[in-house]
Amino acid sequence: MIGVESMLKLLKIIFQIGILYILYWAGEWVAETLNLSLPGSIIGMVLLIFLLFTRTVRLEWIGEGAGFMVKYLPFFFIPSTLGIMQYYEIFAGNGFLLIVIVLVSTMLVMGVSGLIGELYHRRGEGR
Amino acid sequence: MSTLTGIFMIMLTAAVYRLSLYIHRKAESPWTLPILTSTVVIIAFLAFFKIPYDQYMIGGEWINELLGPAVVALAYPLYIHRRILVKLALPLLAGTAAGAFTGVVSGVSMAKWAGFGPEILYAVSAKSVTTPVAIVITESLGGITSLAAVMVMIAGIGGAIIHSYIFRLFGIHSHLGRGMGMGSASHAIGTAELMKDNQIEGSISTVAMVASAVLVSLITPLLVLWLV
Repeated sequence: MIGVESMLKLLKIIFQIGILYILYWAGEWVAETLNLSLPGSIIGMVLLIFLLFTRTVRLEWIGEGAGFMVKYLPFFFIPSTLGIMQYYEIFAGNGFLLIVIVLVSTMLVMGVSGLIGELYHRRGEGR
Repeated sequence: MSTLTGIFMIMLTAAVYRLSLYIHRKAESPWTLPILTSTVVIIAFLAFFKIPYDQYMIGGEWINELLGPAVVALAYPLYIHRRILVKLALPLLAGTAAGAFTGVVSGVSMAKWAGFGPEILYAVSAKSVTTPVAIVITESLGGITSLAAVMVMIAGIGGAIIHSYIFRLFGIHSHLGRGMGMGSASHAIGTAELMKDNQIEGSISTVAMVASAVLVSLITPLLVLWLV
């Protein structure tokens, strides 16, 4: 049996996700209206940071719902990663080479950007 | 009927994800990453029962719809760690810019060297950024958008799997270095992995991911002129 307390908590999380959903929608609207190439979700995120900074939205209005979504974030990517199954043919023939290229390039990006952060961090420690 | 199919697909996804979380806890390794094992298991399931992707998406669409608010939710850890992030703004921007440049130049020139045509080169160019941005960039250049989406997935899942090897290879151990590397190279999928274990790294990665999306969409059209 689910107790009243955990039921209330669940409702609170659902309600807070509703708030996040409205912000996502607002972001989509902004992207469309201003003809931006950024996704609505990222604009919604920037919008929420702005609202938190200006105290228009209080942390406790979204905290639990946002914490829940962030914790299970990888789950929400599953349907789009499954999209790969429509492109089996890419993995055959010389398309395989593309995968290798993308992986090598990803390694380089991770190394270059990461090293710059690492060097900055070490310089700061040395002071 | 289709409602039932939808509910079944959502429950299947949730059950497989829970199972993969359990497996990852029991046998922690980059190769048991929940996003990887979940994807493989569900693809195997759908392939075995000959269920097409469109039919999975009757339910999958609902989960996908929540991806929007889930990305918005990243504002929460970002706000919590705002003081650290503001202090790190300069290296974050510099590192992300270098990463964005490296990603486009290395991806496109290797693919060109391998003999692929322009519409494939364009699809590879934006692979380091989150899917919707990559699709918009590829589309504006005249590349194959569905291929771009696949490349983005490979950069994301690939980075999430190999990041521990890369960070060891380059001697990257700080939260700053790890967050920046992951966010620049493997967008939201990589960010989600870091966020699970460490909110500071995850927040740095979020900032790098967003900065990278903006930078790549600005520099790719110019770099491609020069590279292709």
